[in-house]
Amino acid sequence: MKRSRGADLVIPALALGFAIYFFVSIADLAWEAKANGVVIGGVLVLLIAIQAARIALELGRGKSDLSLAELWEPRDVLGKRAGMVAITVLFIATLHWTGLTLGLLFAMAAALWVMGARGKVLVLLPLVVAGAAYLLFVVLLKTDIPHGPFERLFS
Amino acid sequence: MSWDFLLGQFAAQFGLWWVILPAILLGIVVGILPGFSPQNTLIMLLPLTLAVPVEQAMAFMISLYCANHLAGGIPAILVKIPGSGGAAATTLDGYPMTQKGQAQQALVLCFTASVFGGLITTLATIALLPWLSQIGLHLRSVEMVVVMLFGLTLIAVIAAKDTLKALIAGFFGLLIGVIGTDHIYNTPRATFGFLELYDGVPLVPALIGLFAISEALVMIEEKMIVGQSGRERALEARWSDTVEGLRLSVQKWWHIVWTSFVGLFIGVVPGAGASIAAFVAYQQSRLWSKNPERYGTGIPEGVIAPEAANNGVTSGTLVPTLALGVPGGTTAAVMMIVLQYHGMVMGPRLFATNPEVAYGVFISMAVAYVFMIFTILPLARYMSRVVLIETTYLAPVIILVTIVAAFGERQYLFDMSLALVFGVIGYIAHKTNYHVTGILIGILLGPLFEQYLVRALRISQGDLTVLFSSTLGNILWAFLVLSLVLPAVKGYRRRT
Repeated sequence: MKRSRGADLVIPALALGFAIYFFVSIADLAWEAKANGVVIGGVLVLLIAIQAARIALELGRGKSDLSLAELWEPRDVLGKRAGMVAITVLFIATLHWTGLTLGLLFAMAAALWVMGARGKVLVLLPLVVAGAAYLLFVVLLKTDIPHGPFERLFS
Repeated sequence: MSWDFLLGQFAAQFGLWWVILPAILLGIVVGILPGFSPQNTLIMLLPLTLAVPVEQAMAFMISLYCANHLAGGIPAILVKIPGSGGAAATTLDGYPMTQKGQAQQALVLCFTASVFGGLITTLATIALLPWLSQIGLHLRSVEMVVVMLFGLTLIAVIAAKDTLKALIAGFFGLLIGVIGTDHIYNTPRATFGFLELYDGVPLVPALIGLFAISEALVMIEEKMIVGQSGRERALEARWSDTVEGLRLSVQKWWHIVWTSFVGLFIGVVPGAGASIAAFVAYQQSRLWSKNPERYGTGIPEGVIAPEAANNGVTSGTLVPTLALGVPGGTTAAVMMIVLQYHGMVMGPRLFATNPEVAYGVFISMAVAYVFMIFTILPLARYMSRVVLIETTYLAPVIILVTIVAAFGERQYLFDMSLALVFGVIGYIAHKTNYHVTGILIGILLGPLFEQYLVRALRISQGDLTVLFSSTLGNILWAFLVLSLVLPAVKGYRRRT
């Protein structure tokens, strides 16, 4: 059976992209500002080249393929995983309007639902988490976290 | 300094139990939550500490600080989420112990190593204060480069399974650690245009993303974070498991002692911190072990070393603050503000003019550790039950609560998004066996390494031989080479 090595190239690809961007961003700087980055980035690029060569050799010998399956497996939780990330993105994006308490309440309820929780826990757990977050971040610590309708009502 | 004076100080500090106990509880809560640092908590409570007498203020701050260092290991062991950078190394063996159903023992080891490590080094500090205060003066940028390299060699240590992947992870982390303005000209580098990255990559969102979010995204593959046998063991958790943890701690007493001293010596260097100390202690513990290959599989020494060092740092950090007037860290700086507000003049004179405050700080620390062991040890049995919560509930709570916690340190919404980005990177690294700890070590130590390296090179006008120009530095280089060569020699001997 062939080994799936496509996923093994994702981190090196990200690292290589970042290293190139890093080199571009420091091109015009003084040596003190780029010495460390050039050394680290140089070694990183070399290591990535070795990893790519290693995988290329395996591909050439027909021992592996470029499948990304490793990242998605097991497929039955793929929906849950994508749902959790999507809910978190939505939570952060709407925090300015919903405020911490309401935003966390809805996001927790949605995340629990995506994870397969049903019944009373869908209401109780989000209420407890949102309430605790409100007490800690808004009442006790008085942080600058965005305030929404709930926080304004109780301020 | 007479025995009468010391005994009187101990009695006075025990009398402040009503200040110490609430501070310990607050410190534990703050320590468990990633994103809440003791310095931020102390800054928020500054009006309170300025309003009360200096002895009470110091007892409160010291107790909160020590409890915070201890509590960071709790989530690191139970759910692989370090409460602070100093507890990141604890995940390496603490979490595997939890997965084996030994969460209670791991917690007890964490508590005892923290408390006794902290206590021993505090007492040593009281006895050796005049000498310890000199260490910081001898360790200059050249020596610090080597100390940083000690921490960075852990990347090679964790590379046992796949060297190339671990090295890529480590150097990727190091390059991420270079993001931000440089130390000389303040010119931004690789900030993607975000002003929020000018100060570098903030540690808390990186920690939360790489450990908490990525782990939560992986843990949903299973019903619980422990397997069937681990579940059965956790369900049967009894007081005997706490006793077993205590027995292991007694058995490994020497390990607690020497790794806590690693923390103390690194702590006295201004700018070095608990995370460096914990990683260096873990690396050294593995180096001198007869079974280095068992590290990372969930062994007591792997929990003891980082936790004892993490708490050995607490007294070390205060040495340069009190003896030289140079704060050893942000928390120490906050404490210095309070002391100065009360009219104390930092430096060697403090020990002559106000010995009750100068020595009182360390005695207060020792007393806080004594209170801590009795407060937290009985809780290990109940804390270990966290592993029995189904991932259906645990994963959403971890992801959303830690995302909010990412906001805590700098109060930027940007940090919440950054934590999610690191979460996705951590998830990919996790699934493809690129060690997330390697990435974190790079992010943690990268900026400090650059700072000391560039400083040394500036002094020598770019001449690299400056790194071998001091006797102490060369001794440290010899130790560094030894710690890299010795495992290879040991491995070769074992094979032949």
